[in-house]
Amino acid sequence: MTERHWMGVADATRAFAARTLSPVELLQSLLDRIAKLDPVLNVFITLDAEAAMDQARAAEAEIAAGRIRGPLHGVPMGVKDIIDVAGLRTTGHSRVLIDNVATADAVCVARLRQAGAIMLGKVATHEFAIGGPSFDLPWPPARNPWNPDFHPGGSSSGSGSGVAAGLFPAALGTDTGGSVRNPASACGIVGLKPTYGLVSRRGVFPLSYTLDHVGPMTRTVADNALLLDCLAGHDPADPASQPTPRTNYAAQLERGVRGLRIGFVRHFHERDVPASPEVAAGLEHAARVLEAEGAEIRTVTLPSLSEFAAVNRVLLCSEAWAVHAPWLRERPEQYGELSRRRLMPGAFMAAGDYVQAQRRRLQMIAEVEDAFREVDVLFCASSMDTACRIEDPETVARTYSRQARTPFNVTGHPALAMFAGLSKEGLPLSLQFAGRNFGEATLFRVARAWERAAGTASRHPPIG
Amino acid sequence: MDHEMMLGLARAAGLDRALELFPDDVAAAAKQASGNIAGFKAPVDPRAEPWPPMRPGSGAGTSL
Repeated sequence: MTERHWMGVADATRAFAARTLSPVELLQSLLDRIAKLDPVLNVFITLDAEAAMDQARAAEAEIAAGRIRGPLHGVPMGVKDIIDVAGLRTTGHSRVLIDNVATADAVCVARLRQAGAIMLGKVATHEFAIGGPSFDLPWPPARNPWNPDFHPGGSSSGSGSGVAAGLFPAALGTDTGGSVRNPASACGIVGLKPTYGLVSRRGVFPLSYTLDHVGPMTRTVADNALLLDCLAGHDPADPASQPTPRTNYAAQLERGVRGLRIGFVRHFHERDVPASPEVAAGLEHAARVLEAEGAEIRTVTLPSLSEFAAVNRVLLCSEAWAVHAPWLRERPEQYGELSRRRLMPGAFMAAGDYVQAQRRRLQMIAEVEDAFREVDVLFCASSMDTACRIEDPETVARTYSRQARTPFNVTGHPALAMFAGLSKEGLPLSLQFAGRNFGEATLFRVARAWERAAGTASRHPPIG
Repeated sequence: MDHEMMLGLARAAGLDRALELFPDDVAAAAKQASGNIAGFKAPVDPRAEPWPPMRPGSGAGTSL
């Protein structure tokens, strides 16, 4: 039988329905594990144990009475601390917002609650989703459960570490340049950046308006699809939100990849930013597995990673400067060093630079759309390296840009990063799939085929 | 970007306090900005539009 802390969202709700486990029992097991592991992993900024237990008791009574509120009823979740949860602080992991208490739930949190989820607390991030991992902030950085000496990736670092460590079965993260997919890659879980406009950003502290996405982080592809079912939907108060038809994202999960055309973007990791040999071998292995499962693998060429990254950074820095300029002028000392260095570049960019980046962006979108006329899904690297040592600032800085996630923030296409096996050092390898706009169902189908063939869902960190 | 230009832009942006307290961070930010701007090919076709485009009537449903 699966240990309670490794139960996924769907496992837990099935056990609740079968009366073999109650929400209170699950939550108590997770709180015991948090008490044991969080002093090492630094996942939580605010643990709301009492309120979570009240919600678990209520869920237990409702489920016993046959009143199921939704597909997440009674399941605890972690929330990145730039996302509002009513009554709790949204600190952004920063001294700047240390006393900022949210008065309402973000729309994404409200939607999870509507489906019955329990908000367990607020979890670590890089400061304002950009400045980290840092040791000069009010809370320490989260650590990687595969080896706490290593970085869990960021900026949704607490979400990734907590899900991988079995502190909660799912979490919310945000992704502006790869911040859901980076910790998913480093911690060996599943992280989705949905299509731009599919999930409301209202109630999420902005980093960059035209690049920000909210996404689910889970240990299995099926759980990720389940969360997206609850999160997706038009929000008229989010100007980027798109009206989309109701979709059952899990409907195609078990259909396999036979007949699908998968475009392998090899130049990302072979030429643009050469990956470590283990990462490159892992990608080739995954391509062979998907081909053996019946997919047709084609090589696809897109603009270079360095150009995607430059466009991403001009947009991100310009928009982030618009958000942070007043505080950076008045109280720069309240930010960590990495945040200051990553937020101030916008002060040195001209309006024309920003417009040129947006114009180049439209061309890049067109180039990726062209690729999707020839293939159904794109396949490429996520991180070019496994996680690095967290207390080695030079390696952290060197590996920071060695990734292939920013292209899909620039273009808005959905992208999912997940576990691809273990390195010789015992750290997760990763891969990434990207889909057509609002094509998450196909993306999950391919990801599930890989997960099933490779058996990745049953691998957990040797901790606790 | 030379040092004088960096100082001028930083002051024009109101970063006097940051210049006083964290001059290395301001210089690093300026260097990063230059690299990013030079890192992509600006479209030469005048008809190349930016994304996202202006969309009439697509504003937020609530005013902030």
